[in-house]
Amino acid sequence: MDESLLMILGWTGIYGATALGAVGSIIGCSRAGQAACGAMLDVESGYGRLVGLSALPSSQIIYGIVVTMTLRGNPLTAQSAPGLFAVGVLCGIALLFSAAFQGACCASAIHASKNKPEVFGLSAAPAAIVEGFAVFAFIFALVVAGGIPQ
Amino acid sequence: MHRSYYTLIASLPHLPLHFELDRTPITRPRLNERLKLLEDADRDVIDQMSAFLVWDRQPLDRNDQEVIERYDNLMRTVSNPLVRALINTRINMRTIVSAVRRRKAGGSPPVGVGQWVDHIRRNWEHPEFRLAGRYAWIRPFQNLIDEGAAREAQRLLFSVNYRTWSRMAEHYAFSFEGLILYLARWEIIDRWTSQDANAGQQRFEKLISETLGEHANLY
Repeated sequence: MDESLLMILGWTGIYGATALGAVGSIIGCSRAGQAACGAMLDVESGYGRLVGLSALPSSQIIYGIVVTMTLRGNPLTAQSAPGLFAVGVLCGIALLFSAAFQGACCASAIHASKNKPEVFGLSAAPAAIVEGFAVFAFIFALVVAGGIPQ
Repeated sequence: MHRSYYTLIASLPHLPLHFELDRTPITRPRLNERLKLLEDADRDVIDQMSAFLVWDRQPLDRNDQEVIERYDNLMRTVSNPLVRALINTRINMRTIVSAVRRRKAGGSPPVGVGQWVDHIRRNWEHPEFRLAGRYAWIRPFQNLIDEGAAREAQRLLFSVNYRTWSRMAEHYAFSFEGLILYLARWEIIDRWTSQDANAGQQRFEKLISETLGEHANLY
């Protein structure tokens, strides 16, 4: 394969984790944030926790940045580029989906806890579970990144 | 394209499992205010549905030709599948209710519209028009009509629709379809509360009591 194409793949992998994580966080926070804004129209108090919950999907961009920094620590060569691409992009996709769907979970939690404030903690549990899957993808990206051939 | 309405739907109060409330969870002016968040195309769909629901609130004793024209006109203009399904559900219910009432009055099968008109005509002599398997409410509705319990019969019909649309709404979170089903259920609550004169009186007295406090009983 052309070496310049390999370099493009390598850089795509390095930055992909951050970019895709950012896209997921944008979608997730947007969904949950819109729900929080709507809920604020219907409740008289407890605005802070609604906004706090809506920020939960922002963690995926942080995971993406850490993966990018880790991958960036590997020298970019024709041998390492395919591995960097695979780890970065696949982790980024996992982060994207987890953030987007976590946003939907947060929106539902906001909607549910607006009507029944006593279920606030429990209603956030699905969002926390989705976060757990993002953490798995993140941790194992770091583990696998250590084995990419130089 | 399926649009999402996170802000709008989250801003609407929860609708309970049952429609027999003292008042609607959100007033019509406030609901209309919230609906301004809709995109123009979706707003048009909601307007079409609202127009149908307003028409549907009118008495059942309409002439058949008027119902047919209205139905044909609606089916030509409404393209949203869920709104069409809601309209068909209501029209079918109207047709069956009309058939039950006509038969009780010794009349002929209704001309009407919808998928069951011919079926009812063919099964006019059967107690439930051979529709009991699909519409379990026909028998209890007939019983209530026979007893002259019109209000209970109306409650039964509301209950059937409210339950159906509540079940459907479980599959739509923060979507336009979810909003359509919310409005359909809200409309049932509104119809029920506006019919409930006693509840209205109690509400009025409660309001007076809350406003005047201990002075409410002075005169």
